[in-house]
Amino acid sequence: MAEGSVGQTQAQSQAQPVEERPRKKASLVYPGLTVSFILLICCFAAWGAAANLTDVLVGVFRQIFTMSNFQSALVQFAYYGAYFSLAIPAALINRRFGYKAGVLTGLGLAAVGGLLFIPASGLLKFAPFLIALFVLAAGLSILETSANPFVIAMGPEESATQRLNLAQAFNPVGANIGVMLGAIIILPNLTPEAAKVIMSPAQLHDAQEHDLSLVLGPYLGIAAVLVLIWVLIALRKMPTPAEEIQGEGAARTGALRRLWRNRHYRYGVAAQFFNVGAQVCAWSFTIQYARDVVGVPPGSAGWYLQASLLLFLVSRFVMTYLLGIFRPTKLLALMGALGVGLSLIGVFSQNKVGLLAVVGISVSLSLMFPTIYGVALRGLGEDTKFGAAGLVMAILGGALMPPIQGKVMDQSGAAFGYIVPAICLALVTCYALFDLRTHRNGGKLVVEGAE
Amino acid sequence: MWKRGRRRSGQLAPRLLAVAGAGLLGILNIACGNDEPKVTVGLIVKRESNPFFVKIEDTAKDTAGDDNVKLLTAAGKSDIDNRTQVAALAKMTAEGAKGILITPANSSAIVPAIEKARRAGVNVIALDTPTRPRSAVNALYATDNFEAGDLIGRYAKAKAKADAIEPKIAMLDLAPGITSGQLRHDGFLKGFGIKDGDRRIVGSVNTLGETGRGEAGMKALLAKDPGINIVYTVNEQAAFGAAAALKAAGRSNDGVILVSVDGGCKAIKDYVRPGVIDATAQQYPENMAREGVKALAKAARGGPKPTGFLNTGLELITRDPVKGVPSEAVAFGVRNCWG
Repeated sequence: MAEGSVGQTQAQSQAQPVEERPRKKASLVYPGLTVSFILLICCFAAWGAAANLTDVLVGVFRQIFTMSNFQSALVQFAYYGAYFSLAIPAALINRRFGYKAGVLTGLGLAAVGGLLFIPASGLLKFAPFLIALFVLAAGLSILETSANPFVIAMGPEESATQRLNLAQAFNPVGANIGVMLGAIIILPNLTPEAAKVIMSPAQLHDAQEHDLSLVLGPYLGIAAVLVLIWVLIALRKMPTPAEEIQGEGAARTGALRRLWRNRHYRYGVAAQFFNVGAQVCAWSFTIQYARDVVGVPPGSAGWYLQASLLLFLVSRFVMTYLLGIFRPTKLLALMGALGVGLSLIGVFSQNKVGLLAVVGISVSLSLMFPTIYGVALRGLGEDTKFGAAGLVMAILGGALMPPIQGKVMDQSGAAFGYIVPAICLALVTCYALFDLRTHRNGGKLVVEGAE
Repeated sequence: MWKRGRRRSGQLAPRLLAVAGAGLLGILNIACGNDEPKVTVGLIVKRESNPFFVKIEDTAKDTAGDDNVKLLTAAGKSDIDNRTQVAALAKMTAEGAKGILITPANSSAIVPAIEKARRAGVNVIALDTPTRPRSAVNALYATDNFEAGDLIGRYAKAKAKADAIEPKIAMLDLAPGITSGQLRHDGFLKGFGIKDGDRRIVGSVNTLGETGRGEAGMKALLAKDPGINIVYTVNEQAAFGAAAALKAAGRSNDGVILVSVDGGCKAIKDYVRPGVIDATAQQYPENMAREGVKALAKAARGGPKPTGFLNTGLELITRDPVKGVPSEAVAFGVRNCWG
């Protein structure tokens, strides 16, 4: 396809008198960037697959290394801890070298992380896997931080939201592929626990090697895909517009002070922290609930997590429609309360009903991230960019809450562990109720209490 | 300003895609099937409605599928149906089975049919229940029932000490002359550190492993001494009956230490998890099936014949662990239960 110059197209349209210019629907991407856009879409799918394969790994490592739920939850601590740690460096890379460099750095680092599973599998220890996951997640953090604005910059502003939504729609597609890889390749082929009861130490060692080789396969596959995308993007000319450099120093300090004094924003960051925590907790321990509480065989347990993600995907579309009818925080409060209720059913109904309730939590989670994001950023004006960065860092909830749930599970069982997402979602509900009951000025940021 | 990209990357991209795709398939490829030659193995269980034997059959089918084994199956109509098992042995031998797994309904009456199969070159492994004599089969793969009794005996003793109670023991046994029941009984006494006739034993009843008889037997023993605080049950069906009798007598779960053997899903989820049964020794019918199919397939392919006794494993499952007695949490029991 011939690539044209966006500058020429814009010049042609501006030459016509305003009254005679026909209304044209904005193109999705600038001419000549379709292939580049498709490559970025692949990035969204790839990091969805890697992120949600990690949810399966929590239970897998627990079985392979015969460890506690707390220990196995360190997988999520490593993964989301990397996301949190690399958020700011990623932004700096984009600012200094541009979005394409950021995407390539992210892809490359993530691929290295995937390849680090090779030595980790050979060492037969848990810690090297945590390191590999940290590196993988570090790369994906840089990738995500770069890819989102890169997609926005790939076409006219009028179609930016549509373009970003289309790209992001492939993230849950990748997420489902990731879980499916775990459900098909890893879980059904793990050495049965009962078999290990009568194994000699040498047999146990061989079983561990076999099981870890199952984990290696999907991550090598992800690494291969990332390398391929890296090569294709690297070979492609993709100049990017320079990022606007905002005023440093005093402007940034002023923004931080203003943001901190804004309760809707401050509480929004906290709500996002607990929302991400609830989401990662709910998905990380769905398989354990299925196995420990209901006794679902390992080969079938993964499908319940798959069902959670599909429910999340479908619910997101439904919520998008409902958000056009209802006030967002009203819906947020309702979904938060629903999530609390379903979590408590999971705690007290220690059977298939409880398991279905755990799966159903995904319905309540589906609208939370973008809704809290939008509500917290509303009215921030020039401080929106800093505010958005703070909200992204709330991903730390995904690192800190799962080990807490793991500890609760170790003390009181897998069912009672779901008290943790219940509490998290109750706090999200509180934020929604706070927003419903308090007033704030729209448009530009106004410090609360100011004249 | 966006610039025109170079054309030569357009030809390179599809080639790289093809190479990566092949590599990805190679990496993700799980070896399907098996290079070993196909062999035929038979499985004969007592009856198909018992969850214990259902687990054996399901695991045998899975293992056979993974190991390129053609599995022939048969089941008796009841726990004492020897005739069907005899016919199945002959039929499977005629159909080319090189090895047969069997859970004997009658430990003595099945022996002539087994010996006939072995004379025809078929290896036979008894699962769960030994033949009489033991040498009638190549090997026995079963739970060590004495060890099971010992494990729950040790637990009951340690729990009684921890709770500072003076033991008054009720023994709910299987039936006279049945080996597995006797072994569990003897094992419990050893684990607890007492002998038959000890003054701490209030009495013993035979339950045939049935819930109704377990309940009736427990009621009779409670009538003899309402202060019974430790209950040994030979299996979980009997334990369900004992629990019902204790509840009817107004005894709380905390006041009685109830122990059993089996590890079925109903017992683990509905009795051990809420603390009605304090501990149960979980056995693994899947190990009997898995190891049995693998051993017979190996022998059929020229490997060593199975011999001797394979202990197919036990774990004590409890929600209240006690010091000095190794155990696993209820979650482990749920993940590995059967039925």
